[in-house]
Amino acid sequence: MSSRHRIVLAVNDVTVEREVESRLLLADFLREELELRGTHVGCEHGVCGACTVLVDGQPVRSCLMFAVQAAGTRIMTVEGLTRGDELHPLQEAFWEAHALQCGFCTPGILMTIYHLLQEGAGLEDEGEIRRALSGNLCRCTGYQNIVDAVRIASRHNDAVKMAGEGC
Amino acid sequence: MGGRSGSGAEVDAGAIWVGQRLKRREDPELLTGKGRFIGDLTRPGMVHAAFLRSPHAHAKILSIDARPALEIPRVVGVLTSHDLPPNLGAQPVTHVFTDRNTPNYALARDRVRYVGEPVAVVAAESPYIAEDALDRIRVEWEPLPAVSDVEAALRPGAARLYDDWPDNVAGTFRAEMGDVDGALAQADVVVTERFRIQRQFACPLEPRGVLAEWDPHRGELVLWSSSQILHIARDCLAEVLKIPEHRIRVLVPRVGGAFGCKFHFYAEEVAVALLARTVGRPVRWLEDRLESFVATVHAREQVVHATMAARRDGTITAVTAQIDGDMGAHLHTVSYGPVWLTSVMITNVYQIPNARVHTRAVVTNKTPLGSYRGWGQPQANFVVERLVDRVAHELQQDPAEIRRRNFIPPERFPYKSLHHTFDSGRYAACLDLGLERLDYRGWRARQAQARREGRYIGIGFSFYVENTALGPSRMLNAGGVKQGGYDIARVRMEPGGEVTVYTGLCEMGQGFTNGMAQMCAQTLGVHPDHVTIVTGDTQSCPYTGYGTGASRSAAVGGAAVMKSSQRLREKISAIAAHMLEASADDLVMAAGHIQVKGAPTRAITMADVGRAGYLRPIELPPGMDPGLEVIEVFDPPQMAWPYGVNIAVVEVDAQTGEVKFLDYVVAHDSGTVLNPMIVDGQIHGGVAQGIGAALLEDLPYDENGQPLARTFMDYLIPTAADLPRFRLGHTVTPSPIIPGGMKGVGEAGIIGPPAAIVNAVEDALRPFGVKFTETPITPERILAAVDGAGIGAVSSQRR
Amino acid sequence: MKPAPFEYHAPATLGEALRLLSEAGDDGKLLAGGQSLVPLLNMRVLRPSALIDLNGVPELRVVKTSDGNGLSLGAMVRQRTLERDPLIRERVPLLSEAAALIGHMQIRTRGTLGGSLVHADPAAELPAAVTALSARLTVRGPSGVRTLSSEEFFIGPLTTALAPGEVLVDVLFPPLPPGTGWAFVELTRRHGDFAIVGAAALAHLDGAGRVDFASMALCGTGGTPYASPWLGDVLHGERPRAELIQEVGRRLSESVEPDGDIHASAGYRRKVAGVIGTRALALALDRAQGPHRAEVA
Repeated sequence: MSSRHRIVLAVNDVTVEREVESRLLLADFLREELELRGTHVGCEHGVCGACTVLVDGQPVRSCLMFAVQAAGTRIMTVEGLTRGDELHPLQEAFWEAHALQCGFCTPGILMTIYHLLQEGAGLEDEGEIRRALSGNLCRCTGYQNIVDAVRIASRHNDAVKMAGEGC
Repeated sequence: MGGRSGSGAEVDAGAIWVGQRLKRREDPELLTGKGRFIGDLTRPGMVHAAFLRSPHAHAKILSIDARPALEIPRVVGVLTSHDLPPNLGAQPVTHVFTDRNTPNYALARDRVRYVGEPVAVVAAESPYIAEDALDRIRVEWEPLPAVSDVEAALRPGAARLYDDWPDNVAGTFRAEMGDVDGALAQADVVVTERFRIQRQFACPLEPRGVLAEWDPHRGELVLWSSSQILHIARDCLAEVLKIPEHRIRVLVPRVGGAFGCKFHFYAEEVAVALLARTVGRPVRWLEDRLESFVATVHAREQVVHATMAARRDGTITAVTAQIDGDMGAHLHTVSYGPVWLTSVMITNVYQIPNARVHTRAVVTNKTPLGSYRGWGQPQANFVVERLVDRVAHELQQDPAEIRRRNFIPPERFPYKSLHHTFDSGRYAACLDLGLERLDYRGWRARQAQARREGRYIGIGFSFYVENTALGPSRMLNAGGVKQGGYDIARVRMEPGGEVTVYTGLCEMGQGFTNGMAQMCAQTLGVHPDHVTIVTGDTQSCPYTGYGTGASRSAAVGGAAVMKSSQRLREKISAIAAHMLEASADDLVMAAGHIQVKGAPTRAITMADVGRAGYLRPIELPPGMDPGLEVIEVFDPPQMAWPYGVNIAVVEVDAQTGEVKFLDYVVAHDSGTVLNPMIVDGQIHGGVAQGIGAALLEDLPYDENGQPLARTFMDYLIPTAADLPRFRLGHTVTPSPIIPGGMKGVGEAGIIGPPAAIVNAVEDALRPFGVKFTETPITPERILAAVDGAGIGAVSSQRR
Repeated sequence: MKPAPFEYHAPATLGEALRLLSEAGDDGKLLAGGQSLVPLLNMRVLRPSALIDLNGVPELRVVKTSDGNGLSLGAMVRQRTLERDPLIRERVPLLSEAAALIGHMQIRTRGTLGGSLVHADPAAELPAAVTALSARLTVRGPSGVRTLSSEEFFIGPLTTALAPGEVLVDVLFPPLPPGTGWAFVELTRRHGDFAIVGAAALAHLDGAGRVDFASMALCGTGGTPYASPWLGDVLHGERPRAELIQEVGRRLSESVEPDGDIHASAGYRRKVAGVIGTRALALALDRAQGPHRAEVA
């Protein structure tokens, strides 16, 4: 009673082609089919945000999409943030600010903030940053250092933008 | 910790690592998504497990037929209690406080006692198919009456969970000191209250998981578990499966948070191991979120009737408490340890000479209760700090000052409390730091002004002391704990001069390996980057007496590492002295070099020593054995007692009951700080959970024992937008009994917030004269209290 | 929490979607944003045998202006678009303000206008907003096209008047008089949670500063949005003033018949319905009063 579908999509700028069962969640596709295990599954009902990835540039809960729906899309996961061995400035900011403890929620938060910085969000005001983070649950850090990391990254992003390059 | 310790080379005081805000070594891996959590591990041929769980709070299992599940293609095996080996042991309890047993096994035998109890387990080639298979398992149930809270369970004639018990009381505990009745009779003020602390869930973002694989030729089990208790898990597996420990290897991968709930040994660990043996393939089970709310231990739930007595001048003379802990359906790994801890912490930081506690651990048809950060201390703190505020209000004394008056003063340490001996403390200094950081006078002025404007601002205090560095082994054993409290560390210098440390403690995000590396590096005069900490494998890591919890990693684990490192340094020193033809006392170790003081050209590297130690023993002093590996044990002579104050400033919307934070200060002392960034992070995280406990989190059950909170939409943990910025202050009073002076800090943050916040809300609503005795204080409860106070709704400006 | 098996279909036209839906019968479900549906599938609360994905049907995403300053929005317009699109913010700012409060940004990137309306959660913001806005909902099915008012569309908790085989196609928002003030205010346990109670309010003042148009709808106060039918009687011809707004609040509390759940009892919702309603109305009136209208946040 299930259907199988051939899908072609780009994940972190690499084209992939697979056959998937209709009910396979995008999160499980990324993790098990493509072995991109940085995207984590914390709830499977769309609340915790650990599974956040970018689909056509938009942050999405990959536990609430089916892999078959991702056909023809461009997906970015946390693995797409690093270039070679170099950490992305956003990751550097998190490292500097001790903005992670167990690291389980971290990839989802990185993708959310990466998206907002890409869009040009200022992310300076404490309240604004906290609201931006409110769709990602963290149980370890109490969020304070994450707020600080976002501010550091945002300032870096502004500086880099002013120098004429993107984040 | 530079300078000398024992004989041998000095470590250059310029290379102080302890106390440095070093970035964490594990972060690049975690930030790039490369951390390998249990859900990331795969083994060739691995299949996936799913559990069938009881939908009833209390029922007999009349029959169970799992064979239809095997008809689904790609389902490879299923187990029910019929398939359990006849000699399978019951799930162990490592904290034994009572004679009454609540035997429970990997899968329920003929009766279930809580919604979520595992009944069958199926293995299939995908987790999707495994769940499909669950639908095919046929169970015939005979529901039984259920008791869903302590009061119902204690009623005469209540349905009993265990037929061989006369009631639903698993155990009791009593302790007393001084002359309580005399103090009550002579008191000027006596306040009595019934408190209820709600059921909570540690709720790590990563649920549990187990991966089991057998080597059929050797009959050996390899089990990965998202766990805090490496060796204890192995011991439990050996006990339950009846195979020797050396045939079991337990590994702990990266853990996505634990907070105590992974400190337990679970039925699923055994069931998955058995299933793997049956199907002859590795089996992995990943708990899903829906399951986690019924399958992983809950925490905290207690009803406490307490009384506090004081003299007119504010001196507290007595405290009593009747504590009823809601244990759920059976005594889990740590039994009612948390409830016991609540009772013995009932005098908190105060020199109250008269105290009496009577504690009951009560079974109910709910998920078993277990460990959660703080164990039983948040409840004790809530009760005592609320009563202190009540007394302050009765006597019209300032809540900070009444606490100060009753603190155990520095000169009375070591101080024998109701059960424990507190090692050291400068409580007043810590309170002063908190008051100053807060600008207490400023806030009182702003509060008065706000009241004139019809707004409700409140300030609430909670002072806590916390049990860490668990603990002296003999004391634990005497208390019924079937584990020691020591830790063993192995420190090895490699031939190339790098250092490897092996510890039985497990990382779950707290980052203790960093502080440990800093301490080792400082002791040996190398850079922390040259120190590797190995954790998470029973095959290579030394035995940890108690496991990773009870705020003991830095204090006990760290002390063991320090002892080993110091002894290793002595050997390195002696080798270097011989190689440099100098006296060991004339040497300085720094930055991986050892040189003669004042003669920089007379120096060798750690690699030179390493080579001598392993490859060229001819260079060693005569009579010295090769090798540069040391094992040391640290068994703490006592526990260590960090402390602190939480001060919450809130504003309450009297029309909706909503609470907003205006300020939140924590001043705190956890002894020597290894890495201040990590210490602060632990406090932030703990306070956030404490705020969740005060305002948001709850696991209610209906009267039939059905859980009402099953998802993240029901169980509300704080988001970034719900929390204030925490302003932290530290004092440092090194522990006199822990080498290095560290006290623990892992649980510190979570103890104070409920009392501080409820005190603050009551303070804000003082004009209404309302009282709160239960957490969480939801907007509904707050509004009901305000409305019930008989004063009409006050129109306030919404900001 | 993995879903039970289903057949997946991705039609490219509305006609094809209708045909597939018809064939699937009772056992078929339409997939819009998935933010409400997929959790139910993952929890196996729902087990449709067929899932018909509307995300690939362009005709359902159309945004077009209509008579005067009205606006027609396709059912599959994303909530994030409702929140941020300049045309929508200008023409139907109440809708934008309501949409901004739906869950979190990552929900709104997939969630849709139509999905929320058809799911008809009593706590949802959009049903209340479209009710206050007197929107007309266009529905198409095997027996043709029909248009419904909100009152006709929302008939019970999680229940709409959609007949088997019917699809919500678009929502038409009639033009509002220039200078209409709006507000959506809600009470939640945490930022981004479902509303305990929410209120959508619109108000317009005539040249003399008296109310000549007002509309309110509440969510979280019963199975369907509560549209206060007596509002006009209380407010028309009156100048905005505190006692008047308080009166509206009192009547709201008296009139609604909410249900309770673990987050809030019926009694609490009843009480705060009045509080939230007054705050929304006050803000809408404030925004209606002249050139200093607040911007949507």
